[in-house]
Amino acid sequence: MRVLWCVLAACVAAVGQTAVHVARATQLMQDRLFAAAGSEFEIALKQEPSNNGVRFQYAACLFAQGRNEEARQQFEAVRRQTGDSPGVNYYLGRLDLLGGDFASAVGKLRAAEADPAFSRAAFYLGLAYLGTGNRAEAIHSLERAATASPRDGQVHYRLARAYSAAGRSDDADREYKLYNDCRNTLRTTEQDVRECAKALRSSRIEEARPVCQRVADPNDPERLVVLAQLYGERGAYDDAIEPLRRAVQIDAESFEAWHDLGLTLFRLKRYGDARAPLERAVALNPEFADTLNLLAATLYVLGDDAAALPVLEKLHSLKPGDAQVSAALERVRAAVREKR
Amino acid sequence: MTRRELIALLSAAPWLRSAERNDSGMASRGIRPQPRGKASGRPFNARFTDVAAAAGLHAPIIYGPPDRMDYILESMGCGIAFLDYDNDGWLDIFTLTGTRREGPVAGATNRLYRNNRDGTFTDVTREAGLTRQDWAFGVTVGDYNNDGFDDIFISQWGQNVLYRNNGDGTFSDVTRAAGLIHDGRRWGTGCTWVDYDRDGRLDLFVSHYLMFDFESIPATGQDPACNFKGVPVNCGPRGLRGERCTLYHNNGDGTFTDVTAASSIGGAGPSFGLTAVAADFLKTGWQDIYVACDSTPSLLFHNQGDGRFAEQGLQLGLAVNEDGSEQAGMGIAVGDFDSDGELDVLKTHFTEDTAALYRNIGRGGFEDVTNAAGLGVETRYVSWGAGIQDFDNDGWPDLFWATGSVFPEVERVHPEFAHRTPRVLFRNLGAGKFEELLDAAGPAIGEAHASRGVAFGDFDNDGDVDILIMNINEPPSLLRNDVRGANHWLKVKLIGVKSNRSAIGATVIASYGGRKQAQAVLAQSGYLSASDRRLHFGLGDATSARLEVRWPSGVCENIGSVAADRLVTIREGAGVIRVESFGKSR
Repeated sequence: MRVLWCVLAACVAAVGQTAVHVARATQLMQDRLFAAAGSEFEIALKQEPSNNGVRFQYAACLFAQGRNEEARQQFEAVRRQTGDSPGVNYYLGRLDLLGGDFASAVGKLRAAEADPAFSRAAFYLGLAYLGTGNRAEAIHSLERAATASPRDGQVHYRLARAYSAAGRSDDADREYKLYNDCRNTLRTTEQDVRECAKALRSSRIEEARPVCQRVADPNDPERLVVLAQLYGERGAYDDAIEPLRRAVQIDAESFEAWHDLGLTLFRLKRYGDARAPLERAVALNPEFADTLNLLAATLYVLGDDAAALPVLEKLHSLKPGDAQVSAALERVRAAVREKR
Repeated sequence: MTRRELIALLSAAPWLRSAERNDSGMASRGIRPQPRGKASGRPFNARFTDVAAAAGLHAPIIYGPPDRMDYILESMGCGIAFLDYDNDGWLDIFTLTGTRREGPVAGATNRLYRNNRDGTFTDVTREAGLTRQDWAFGVTVGDYNNDGFDDIFISQWGQNVLYRNNGDGTFSDVTRAAGLIHDGRRWGTGCTWVDYDRDGRLDLFVSHYLMFDFESIPATGQDPACNFKGVPVNCGPRGLRGERCTLYHNNGDGTFTDVTAASSIGGAGPSFGLTAVAADFLKTGWQDIYVACDSTPSLLFHNQGDGRFAEQGLQLGLAVNEDGSEQAGMGIAVGDFDSDGELDVLKTHFTEDTAALYRNIGRGGFEDVTNAAGLGVETRYVSWGAGIQDFDNDGWPDLFWATGSVFPEVERVHPEFAHRTPRVLFRNLGAGKFEELLDAAGPAIGEAHASRGVAFGDFDNDGDVDILIMNINEPPSLLRNDVRGANHWLKVKLIGVKSNRSAIGATVIASYGGRKQAQAVLAQSGYLSASDRRLHFGLGDATSARLEVRWPSGVCENIGSVAADRLVTIREGAGVIRVESFGKSR
């Protein structure tokens, strides 16, 4: 999904009504409602058939639905218009891999791997090499993937299988162990989250805190965000702050962590503190309506109507039929006019 | 709109996602099906018709409430068996039953149906002494005391049950005398007879699902973490406590000794174990045991030949799928789909996931070939009892599995997740490829039920493979196979001498038409079920086959050319002792 976001940010240049449908589709993609997202993309493309950014997203959406041939047609159409790009190569390479055309997959995934935004390409390249029977190159690629994604159990498992097939049993055992470690970490996290949620539901916050502390891994931003969300659902916003602050320290590119931090501070009525995290979240994901909502409200309550206005205008462009957003926009426009 | 109202409106943004994910249910990758290719257009010469009602199988198999599944115990259903308890050469039927939490259901019982040899069955449960209503799950059939008659072991929630066949049409409950009563209440699921130490006597392996009691596990709707697609459902298995497996050694005097620790079976961590299958997967001459585990890595107990096992599912490629993801293992089928003389494995899983097809690559273990084989097109159903069987006798084993949801509540909100769902049949195209047949194999394939256990066998002795299916709170289905065309076949029945008399664990490799196909004599497969122990080989247009028999004693025996369209009985060390005309050739 992170890869998809990079592509979205790079490719989207949609305007007007198209932007509305793209925004809806993006939201639906985040909610994994791919069929509905596909419909929105189709409408957007009817309005702007030459918008290759939208076509690329539509293709990715088709790919997510397993509609491989349709996805390929769309990616090829983008390539005809824009030439080779890492994104198109990445997806076409994966389609080749799924279709068993391993030699073609190798060529495309090698090209995609050069772009850091597609770090996962090394993993699929390894699989493509395995398909061609080139085990040595497969192992090299999977090793690169394991280095890039040390917490990805899937990579370690595939690498272990490749080592095993190559008779490198010691290396295989090491990778199996890493795979097991990843899996155990995941299971432990699930268990910790479950127990924290249960404690937050059934106990006083003072009693729940020590249980929930087990979720707090200071080096794992995803666990920290989950912990903060658990606290947030309980209404314990003060407790959510520290995990989120740590999460954005570790992963400054985490839209989710910045958004949640801004939201939490907003809920605590610490509007001045909420502004920067929300601005950062909007910068990372300018199409996400909920964040725009929050940022507009924050700026408004801080009295910075001039700053709130463009945010509300963007929000209105994404939700033109939303009467409450329209009303808010008019009110802020009026306030800005008045100040002038 | 006041400033306060505006702030309230704008700050109503929800959390991006629920922090407490649906991680209490069964493992599913949430994947989409691969696109279906163009149909091969080849005719499929097997046709299935459900003849259960006409055959006299009227009694519903009770399993929990009729309209809901409040607890995971009520949702898992049970196995079913084909057996020949009276040695008349015709398959009889044994059905298990559950019960209801609210209390026993009048008339519900395990049932034994005797084959009348005319396509019908007679319920002989009472005469056989098999009347019992309990939470039964698994069944394994085998002659544990080598007296020539098949005995029955049933795994249950509570205590398991061993029925000794008295040889006169009756059975005796010998569980206590056999030393098979365990401490406390456990949820036995997978069970299989297996001669793990090659002493000629059948030992007993039992897997367990999880620690369950109605009092401590919340019912549907009581724990918000237990939901599927946002709909409250029964809890588990994730979030509940798994169990370890148990191995009992047959002492040869009618008793068993728990050797779980000594055999290292107990060394494997707690899992959500279901179907258990024993076979010589790696051609070492010793029996291995494979356990399908639900949402935990499946277990392969590799026999070390010294009374101990090493759990090596991960290293041998059968623990997880090719992505390294654990799946919701329910049923297991063992067969040789690519006709290379090695035993391959099919395992079934949850909805929004594929089944897994593992190709045996020899001592290196198995490789997941699910997508390459074309199975990725089917992800719609919760899938259970499975088989690798040559239904159309073309010499290429096909794949079948039964389906049915565990969450009847969900379809009211999400109709695409129906409670009752059709059967799945993939025909073998050769070259390692399959295609799903949606309506080309007869009306019974598309009929929707909430099915669980499946047994395969030729109940009407007509030279093909029929299918028996357990349906929750309905009578079972009996899918009679009517094969057209001129393909040939061969059935093989084994009688052990040095090996256990049931020959459980033997592998037969049939060579025909330039190919060789392996099959194993299994005591449990499908989903917690027991199938016909007579091995059925479709031969295509070949009119004979050569046989290699690898007995569980370690003895290997070669049988020269055997004419097709026959049942041959082979006694260990004596070769073919009987040839029976059978089916259309009779």
